[in-house]
Amino acid sequence: MIPLRISVDPLPIDIPIVARLMMSADRDAQSSLERDAVFIEQSSGVAEFDLSGMSLRLRVEDAASLDGDVVMILPGQRSLHRLIRRGSKHNTLLVTEQCDQLCVMCSQPPKKHHVDLFDQFVEAVELAPDKATIGLSGGEPMLHKQRLFDFLERSLSARPDLKFHILTNGQHFENEDADFLNRLPRGSVLWGIPMYAAKAVVHDEIVVKEGAFQKLCASLALLAKVGATIELRTVVMGSNAQYLPALAQFIATHLPFINFWAIMQMESIGYGRMNWDKEFYDTSISFNTLSEAIDLSAALGTEIALYNFPLCTLPDRYRQFSVNSISDWKQKYLLECTECTLKEQCGGFFEWYQESKGFEGIKAQ
Amino acid sequence: MNVWPLRFTDTNDGELLFTDYAGGYFRSTQEFLDRYATGELTTSDQNFLSDRGHAFEKVSDLSFIGFASRWSGRLNANKDINYIILVPTLRCNLSCDYCQVSRVNENAKGFDWDDKTLSAVLRLLEGFGTKEIKVEFQGGEPLLRLNMLREVRSFCRSHFETAQFVVCTNLQTVSKYAWDFLSDEDTHISTSLDGTFDVHQQQRTKDNTTTGTFRTNILKAIETKGVGNVSALPTIDPLSAPEPKILIQTFADLGLHSIFLRPINYQGFARKRYQFDQVNQFWSGYYRRFIDELIEYNATADEPFEEYYLTHILRRIIQGGHNNHVDLRNPNWLGQDYLVVDFNGVLYPTDEARMITRIGQLDLSIGNVHSGLDLSKLDVLNSDASNFFDPDCMNCAYQPYCGVDHIDDLSRYGRVDIPRHLTDHCQKHMSLFDLAFELLYSGDPKVHNSLAAWLNIPGYSPHLTPVHL
Repeated sequence: MIPLRISVDPLPIDIPIVARLMMSADRDAQSSLERDAVFIEQSSGVAEFDLSGMSLRLRVEDAASLDGDVVMILPGQRSLHRLIRRGSKHNTLLVTEQCDQLCVMCSQPPKKHHVDLFDQFVEAVELAPDKATIGLSGGEPMLHKQRLFDFLERSLSARPDLKFHILTNGQHFENEDADFLNRLPRGSVLWGIPMYAAKAVVHDEIVVKEGAFQKLCASLALLAKVGATIELRTVVMGSNAQYLPALAQFIATHLPFINFWAIMQMESIGYGRMNWDKEFYDTSISFNTLSEAIDLSAALGTEIALYNFPLCTLPDRYRQFSVNSISDWKQKYLLECTECTLKEQCGGFFEWYQESKGFEGIKAQ
Repeated sequence: MNVWPLRFTDTNDGELLFTDYAGGYFRSTQEFLDRYATGELTTSDQNFLSDRGHAFEKVSDLSFIGFASRWSGRLNANKDINYIILVPTLRCNLSCDYCQVSRVNENAKGFDWDDKTLSAVLRLLEGFGTKEIKVEFQGGEPLLRLNMLREVRSFCRSHFETAQFVVCTNLQTVSKYAWDFLSDEDTHISTSLDGTFDVHQQQRTKDNTTTGTFRTNILKAIETKGVGNVSALPTIDPLSAPEPKILIQTFADLGLHSIFLRPINYQGFARKRYQFDQVNQFWSGYYRRFIDELIEYNATADEPFEEYYLTHILRRIIQGGHNNHVDLRNPNWLGQDYLVVDFNGVLYPTDEARMITRIGQLDLSIGNVHSGLDLSKLDVLNSDASNFFDPDCMNCAYQPYCGVDHIDDLSRYGRVDIPRHLTDHCQKHMSLFDLAFELLYSGDPKVHNSLAAWLNIPGYSPHLTPVHL
């Protein structure tokens, strides 16, 4: 697993600091912000950087692997956060851990307390590599809607080359948001929004919130009107597998404006791990409802992306829809994968995937 | 609940096919039609219409927005130019019976671009604000002007972010230099193969030696370019069409998987030789036999085979969009996203417009490379570019899937305002839409197998054929 936090010697600071680690003092477009910490030396187990005259000492063996990383150091903490890793396509900022839904498969169960780091996030994305896509996730980012909108406005005016991928439950869009959403440059934000079934009671039960489906539909109508870019997300589970074909029909009929439909396998962590035995739907042995949904979607012109399905669990004809979706830092392969000829194209498994309770149909190809 | 207006037509087995403005469709009965017409929809009717997107509760609710999105998704939006057909010469080294483009002999003088025309063409290309361009070299035989092709290609490669080239050649005389030119990855070959080599010889090449050369060259083209980069178009004489089975096998043996089955066109020199009125019925019978044979073939074939235009029609019905075929778009804007430049630098909105003008029927030119587009003429041509307000089309169940082709109307009738159902374009497409819906609603697994292949989906979906009883 790629570490997202790195031990440091505490710094004498009383406000959070955002900086970019640089192996050399080469200038580029982001250097003018003067927030670069430049490498001084690597000794056994410690890499030292110069952070505006302060010594920043990281407990790593290979400082070069952090070159270009945007990091955040909070007062009093003994580790720094790697907010944006230069070489990675999977940089996600955790906006809040609060949420108003309790989805049964949630990989990041909500917490009560909220720490507002939006100002630090603006500083961080200003330092991001050119044309990067930055994920925003939670919790539910839209619980702090005004701060989020403010963050987007500031970030995109400073860095119009960036794109954001925001995961939201679609419960907090109101008609008065239309003005702001209309002002966002087209395509600058991809809204990732879950829908688990086209049947209100099924969806509401999965997200543990009454009326959620109805609100979701109203939000999607609003987003369509402002020309938003939308990724509709559906995790396949025991509770909704049988409703997938009807959902495919609903999407083509009522949500033809979405950009694509991501159908996802479960992640065995958080509530997902707690509810695994009840909800994990082994698509390696039972693919029928999924194939029915995909066949219909493909025919009707809905773009499909399959996330988190190891290639060997998919019938041949459906592998074309698979996307390498598991973030690099939490991706792993199994012993069986060593011999597999498809390993390079395959997204593999979540770090916390449990083989004993997982897919039956894992097999080197 | 508000129901979007429904239009309907008879089906081949006694039911009715209903469609809405956004292209949603379902089959139902005369009884449903009565209830719909008299405002006595049952709860079950209402639930069905609402679930299937044929109704909404209030303006701007999700059903309303979904419908609006599907409706607008079918529009052919006005796009910047991205496709240009160039005719560097009208000269040709073949003399086919029905030549569609009005060619002249290989040695004729005065039928080629001169250097001034070439520079003007390059300036025209330079003025395009687009990042992508597709250039189709037509003729005559464009390989007779390889130097011009080279100039245009190298200019486009440096001027546009992406540029693709198609050389429409008879593959009859291909020099070493021409093969070199054709071998580049961004350059594709489009040729003619009239169904079988026998028919090809009869209609085009005339003798065994010439046919043999062509056969060698098309095989070489497919072998060196890969089958995805070579297409072959047949021109079929409806009165002596090759057996569908033999035609399919000829193409399949070459490794080709797609055929655009076209009857001899009504324009060019062809018009002088053939009587066309009587052949339409022959053609539609032949076309159906061909599709039946195709479905049989696909039932056992490793590589499925398609008829390009039927696939296109099916995709337009089921998915909307698909505006890449210029004879079937709605609205069908002329002189917008594609243009034709003739051998003398004259601009045309389509290749057919060029032919019509060439035979002296009507002047459909829209300017020339030196002085630019004739915008007032274009405005006239585009003044009635859609089928939305045509008094016949607006009551037609197939309106959302169809389009207009004023150039074709003008070529046949000299005007664009004759009753739609009397036009060749309408009759031809009505019969194609009938066929497409027959196939969609067929219960035959062999048909399902072909549909899945043509729509490029992993498997046929029974949900594509809604029925409301």
